[in-house]
Amino acid sequence: MMSKAISPGASKLQFSLGIDIIIRILLLLFAVIILVPLVFMVTASFMPSSEITHMPYRWIPSRIAWNNFYRALAGNDGSFVYIRNILNSLFVSVTVAFTTVILSSITGYSLAKFNFKGKHIVFMGIMMTMMIPFETIMVPMYMVALKLGMQNSYQGLIVPFMMNAFGVFLMRQYLQTFPKDIMDAARIDGCSEPKIFRSIVFVNSGPAIASLAILTFRQQWDNLMWPLMIAQDKKFKTIPTYIVSFAEEKLSDEGAMMAAALIASIPVIIMFLTLSKYFVGGSSVYSSGKE
Amino acid sequence: MNTERKGKKRRGVEQVQARWGWYFVIPAIVFFSIFSFYPIINAFTLSFFKKNMISPIPPRFIGLENYIYVLQSSDFWNSVRATLTFTLGTFIPLVIASLVIALLITLQGRNFRLWQLLYYSPAVLSSAVAALIWMLIFTPTGIANQFVNTLRNTSGMDMRWLSSGEMVQISTMIVYFWKYIGYFTVLYITGITKIPAVIYEAATIDGASRSQAFFKITLPLLKPTTALVSIVAMLQCLKTFSTQFLFTQSGAPKAPINVITLNIYNTALKDYNVGRASVMSILLFVTMLILTIIQLKVSRSDDVTY
Repeated sequence: MMSKAISPGASKLQFSLGIDIIIRILLLLFAVIILVPLVFMVTASFMPSSEITHMPYRWIPSRIAWNNFYRALAGNDGSFVYIRNILNSLFVSVTVAFTTVILSSITGYSLAKFNFKGKHIVFMGIMMTMMIPFETIMVPMYMVALKLGMQNSYQGLIVPFMMNAFGVFLMRQYLQTFPKDIMDAARIDGCSEPKIFRSIVFVNSGPAIASLAILTFRQQWDNLMWPLMIAQDKKFKTIPTYIVSFAEEKLSDEGAMMAAALIASIPVIIMFLTLSKYFVGGSSVYSSGKE
Repeated sequence: MNTERKGKKRRGVEQVQARWGWYFVIPAIVFFSIFSFYPIINAFTLSFFKKNMISPIPPRFIGLENYIYVLQSSDFWNSVRATLTFTLGTFIPLVIASLVIALLITLQGRNFRLWQLLYYSPAVLSSAVAALIWMLIFTPTGIANQFVNTLRNTSGMDMRWLSSGEMVQISTMIVYFWKYIGYFTVLYITGITKIPAVIYEAATIDGASRSQAFFKITLPLLKPTTALVSIVAMLQCLKTFSTQFLFTQSGAPKAPINVITLNIYNTALKDYNVGRASVMSILLFVTMLILTIIQLKVSRSDDVTY
């Protein structure tokens, strides 16, 4: 969307070479400032703690302190529960991305391609939920989850996020242009409606599904508040909640803290480097989706 | 099969399809009823009740008592102040800086993707990790102090990033600014690339200079994008939680950065006072609803600009 189509308008605005170089130097300068904390995290995770607090900060570790990673994984009590928490985060984020994609596309498909009484009301109702920020309903939602016996369980971490209104909206917009002829042809051939969805519509919605899946994965990967409430048991913590308790208890172990941060970031950094198109594109989907 | 279908009336087929349409939306209706509509209605009703989160005593109706208590408590107004300070202090620099960076990236016209990725990279980290990194940067011996000391040519000056009441507010703003600058830059670049080339061509034919084109075309046509970015940024800032939570958990003074979400969280889960937490939730909800409605109006006017 953005990289290929180099701005048709702005290219008309190009300045002379001198100004161009000044602009690039400025951009580089800002970028370095933005990247400093990331470089700090990576270098500090390999340093002995005494070196991290050394003034001035030396950007290259004098020796590599692999021990930081051991302490980060072992945790405060040597139980290595962080490994389980990392797996929890992966499991919850992948599952939520999966259910969101399926449930949102089936709902979006119905709202885009079927005519039934009350369709408009259903659509408006779902869109209205986009105006309810999670932060304003977290307390009653927590009480619902308690009633359903979901505290300290994977259901508690997953079920409240199984689908979202934005996903429905995105899939509906996307599927509105899906050719109806193909669906009708399948119907004439005797294909059942669920099968049409599964083997024709769903498998041909790749780009929208990929964007939605990555967006949802990242939301869950970043989710702090809900796991904080629903998962007090160490075994069900996710990475963000582990980081919080680790920071509280190991305040003076800077090396291990940065190692824990780096470990927590590796999966998303890999995703970012391989699927960057959907990361950056996903945020513009958000803005254009509101039109 | 074919002959059987043909025999059916067109209307029958439509009815069958309508039924499938319903089947496909049933999961969504169930889900959003339980996890969106029921909680928001419940938040509204609970705000009129006295209810302890963990006690089995059923909620007791107390009318407007929760509202009166909350609106008279200095703790609540401190949270309003903290939230507003954070929102204003964060979203205005964010909007200005992301506009400038987006303009610079599009003006130099090359390597769009690379620049966007560079600026976007902090947004990839989870908020807890971002807050943790900055917590170490802000320690007395951390690189934040070293940076300031180099700039001012002083030595050993401690800015007390995490311990002074004023500085800790600025610190949370810096973390948020850093994390979201790339995100809003991308939104702006999308807005800039949407401006049709025809407009620039027409201006060039009419003899407009480059700087004229920039000030008379690019900037004015970015007004709708600016409005949109501002409100999205404002809405996000009002919901800020992670940085403040991690900082206070690790010993930073609480009152200056006790934003409304943090207050709701503590009122419900530490004091177990569901009623008062609900009052604050509803007040936050109404504020954000008004902003969202403005946002929808703005993005609708976005369409008719060109």
